[in-house]
Amino acid sequence: MLPFLVAGLALGSLYALSGTGLVLLYRASGTLNLAQGAVGAVCVLIAWELHQNHGLPIEAALALGLLLAPVMSVLWGLLIGSRLAGRDPVVQATATLGPALGLLGLANWYWNDKARTLRLPTDLQGFAIAGVRVSITQLAALLLAVTVTAVATFLLRTTRAGTSMRALADDRELSSLLGVRVRRVETLAWAISGVLAGASAIPLADLTVLSASNLTFLVIPALAAALMGGLVSLWGTLIGGLVIGVLQAVVTPVAVLAPYRNVVPFVCAVAVTLWLSRHVTYTTRTAVT
Amino acid sequence: MSIPRPVDPAAPAPAPPRPVGAPIQPSTSASKPSTLGRGRLHGRTVLALACGLIVTVMVPTAVGAYWTKVLTLCVIYAVAAAGAQVLYGRLGFVSLNQVALVGVGGWTFLRAGHAITLPHPLLLVLAGLVTMVVGVLIGLTSLRLSGLALALVTLMAAGAFEIVFTAVGFPDGGSGALGKATGGQLSAALPRPGWLDSDATLFVYTTAVAAMCFTLLWWLVRGRAGRAWMAIGQSVPGALATGVDVTRYRLVALASTSFVSGVAGGLLATGDGRLDPVSFPAQQSIVLFAVVLIGGAYSLLGAAIAGLFYAGLPAVLDQFGVQGNLILVVFGAGLVHSLITSPQGIAGQLHHAAESRRARRRTGGSTGPALTEGSSSA
Repeated sequence: MLPFLVAGLALGSLYALSGTGLVLLYRASGTLNLAQGAVGAVCVLIAWELHQNHGLPIEAALALGLLLAPVMSVLWGLLIGSRLAGRDPVVQATATLGPALGLLGLANWYWNDKARTLRLPTDLQGFAIAGVRVSITQLAALLLAVTVTAVATFLLRTTRAGTSMRALADDRELSSLLGVRVRRVETLAWAISGVLAGASAIPLADLTVLSASNLTFLVIPALAAALMGGLVSLWGTLIGGLVIGVLQAVVTPVAVLAPYRNVVPFVCAVAVTLWLSRHVTYTTRTAVT
Repeated sequence: MSIPRPVDPAAPAPAPPRPVGAPIQPSTSASKPSTLGRGRLHGRTVLALACGLIVTVMVPTAVGAYWTKVLTLCVIYAVAAAGAQVLYGRLGFVSLNQVALVGVGGWTFLRAGHAITLPHPLLLVLAGLVTMVVGVLIGLTSLRLSGLALALVTLMAAGAFEIVFTAVGFPDGGSGALGKATGGQLSAALPRPGWLDSDATLFVYTTAVAAMCFTLLWWLVRGRAGRAWMAIGQSVPGALATGVDVTRYRLVALASTSFVSGVAGGLLATGDGRLDPVSFPAQQSIVLFAVVLIGGAYSLLGAAIAGLFYAGLPAVLDQFGVQGNLILVVFGAGLVHSLITSPQGIAGQLHHAAESRRARRRTGGSTGPALTEGSSSA
């Protein structure tokens, strides 16, 4: 059981990391970026290509891939995202399915959909807790998720950019009237979410499977984690991600349920959605939850 | 609400259901008062039906065996697309699990078909009813939340169904509750009824059933339910204030669209008598939504175009040796384009072109399209 738990915690923290990117961007720009998984997938595949076929050292290849993620993300945000600003959140989210499909198609066309492996140097190092081996990758995933959540929460509260983001989340029009540089803040949010997309996709490709379809649709558990935080709370997202990861791990040793363990995010998200809709009243300004 | 939608539900009548392949004849009765228009509409409907029937019967001999199969698939997915399209075009619901629901319908059809002997149409209705329950249950979870929540829940449901289909498989005559042949059991396809043996007959039958599904949706859209849906799509608080039973009509929408998707699943399973989980990944549900937007979300003609794009375009490109994955790029770009600039899609542009041509003919070429009715701009 314990080895599964370790794996589950690591996976869960990566869902949370990806979910944090979703929540930050959603709060700042109103766009729920469903292409986040696809962006990460393409970055990792490019890094893999550079490392495997062009002889780049793995660190350099990954760094290049990680740099590409915010570039793609910001490009979308500036070119298309801004044209959809002010539209219904569901339209903005649906529009991101476009690049998700496009990137997935391109990746499957160029690399085909065979499962590849990406081995990080940190896989080889590790230590044992109660007889269970924990690799540095797994530990780093958990630490990264917790650190990002803590730092992001702190920065949102204290810095000028953070305050602007929270203002944008509350009311875009009013914030621009008050002198918040809407475009600049949004661009920053797209960049951050891009970095988080890449940063979560690299270890996810290592811990699960490196294939475009797999990584693209790992946005679903990230989304479930974000939903468990109500699409607002960063700590809620972290806890949501960890809960999903652990539940998946608990289900895995049970032979009957094992094939269905990837249904866990859906079940968790639906449970939380039902919980959130306990008392919904319709107002003229419809919020998401 | 910044998506332009036809505001008056009575005026811009969606085109009458038309089998794929039938000539496109936009109805003129929309601009007439309804009492006068009814008789004309009736005559035209009969004419269109007769033309549609003749064309449908002739199609299989005209295009050959391979394209008959492809067109059958197009018709089937046009029905599923019509479900997604009514949900988006009328209520503003983004349903991203329509292909998964087709899978549910297909699963039910095969499971029931292997277990009991029923006439084929009854099996289809059964598949539709079970899918209706599933679709409503998925939608119920987020019905009281925003449209975004529904989109997310349906996307996740599509992902969940992909996993379940892969794990469970589709019934192929095995024993046990899931009907999947395991171990030494021999798997078998569900045989078609004798009268449905040839692919040509199957195409005609499929088109007829699809026309019925389109008629059902069209009837709902034209009637009380459609008006309620329009009100809900404009503004939920507004609909509530005018006394629309929002929950009830949302349920009607989910139930009817899920039902037709289930019927489409049954038709899909009829072809080979078996189904493969690879036909129902979450990705395909997203693709279906994309082609619905490209085809046009506001008229049922858009759904027919969407079906052609979904099942026909890959087959056409395959003939030219273009890899199927590249179509995803086109669909993705089309999805974004439709959302930003032309929410009425190809069907809207066809309708627009027909309207302006007719207006020119009426006035001897002096009036531009600006005077025609229903030309709402973005």
